[in-house]
Amino acid sequence: MSHQPTKLRRHIARKWHRWLGLVAAVPILWLAISGIMLNHAQRLGLNDRMVTSGWILQHYNQLPEGEPYAFEVGDRLITGWGNELFLDEESIPLEGELVGAVAHKGRLLIATPDKIGVFDGADELLLELDNLSLPGTPVQALEAVDDKLHLKIADQTFVLSEDFFSADQVSAELVAIEPRELSPEEKDSLTEAIRTRRGMPLWRVITDAHSGRLFGWPGWVVTDLSAVFLIILTLLGLRLFPKRKS
Amino acid sequence: MSLLLAGGSAFAGPKVHQKPSDFIKSSLGAIPTTHAITLTATQQRQVRAILGKNYKTKAIRYWARNGKSVFILEEIGKTEAITTGVVVKNRKIETVKVLVYRESHGWEVARSAFTNQFQGTSLKSNGQISRSPRNIAGATLSVRALTKLARLALFLDSQK
Repeated sequence: MSHQPTKLRRHIARKWHRWLGLVAAVPILWLAISGIMLNHAQRLGLNDRMVTSGWILQHYNQLPEGEPYAFEVGDRLITGWGNELFLDEESIPLEGELVGAVAHKGRLLIATPDKIGVFDGADELLLELDNLSLPGTPVQALEAVDDKLHLKIADQTFVLSEDFFSADQVSAELVAIEPRELSPEEKDSLTEAIRTRRGMPLWRVITDAHSGRLFGWPGWVVTDLSAVFLIILTLLGLRLFPKRKS
Repeated sequence: MSLLLAGGSAFAGPKVHQKPSDFIKSSLGAIPTTHAITLTATQQRQVRAILGKNYKTKAIRYWARNGKSVFILEEIGKTEAITTGVVVKNRKIETVKVLVYRESHGWEVARSAFTNQFQGTSLKSNGQISRSPRNIAGATLSVRALTKLARLALFLDSQK
């Protein structure tokens, strides 16, 4: 007597299982594969590989906040934008507000309040100077005067030694040079460089694609729905598991 | 379902265990004049063999007093730099201390129970550390980063 309703319920469950499985197959496969990849990120080298595809990088919109400003050193342009610093259009491994930049004996020195980065002729970071090597912080200005490096710290002026590791206080007052604004063309060019050239670690892109956040709200909605479908599929599967009575 | 949570951990921000300047003062009694080792091409290759990449600067600073040398070094754990202080005396590590930890996972490496394992270790002829620390589940990358920094400090000390 009770076989008819049970048969009907099994039929409905099977039908839902089939169609939900079809709809959710691709996103669930992606979640499973990307999850395995993230679990083995180190072994697969995902931390070291960078994604440089302009299409993907545009999703991250890594533009700093505020307006960019710059110091010109010869034909080089050192730009501060938000907390980030750029040498021409390349990001450099130094952060903070840009307070000065000078060329000195084949090297380029770029100052933030907390650090001075010394770059060699190949634009590689040779040395970082901070409060462990400088007479103090924050650095207020950095200039080359009479072939010597002058620093302004706490409204006092210091002359840096040739090896950069000691400084003598001098009485001369150092007037900080003001940075200039970027022209619209310079800003557009830098914006394009940031949006398209800056690589993103592959593990980060896969993590964001795994969670759906890479594709904005539609992405996480699909991910959430896939998870809900997976729960329903599991329950329906359990419902269908017992053998049918003959 | 755990797959869905793989990238969703909370991040509390950098944790400063000790300021680098305080670490140097406590290790050497004062902050002496800065010295630096400017790496030659050969030394750069050796550093690459230790770290798997170049160090972030070509010249690496150190501070020395009474036969001890202090190195303040940084290495990426997973995505963020771990600032670590290493004291070397007589070619052996005297102290390793995590000064600033920025990663969201693996903070257990900052515990003295872990860092004390480096005490007395030296560099073997093959460039490996004489006694490797125990791994910490979930902190493998941070353990590796600290081990690399210990090897780097011992290598730099031998190049002074």
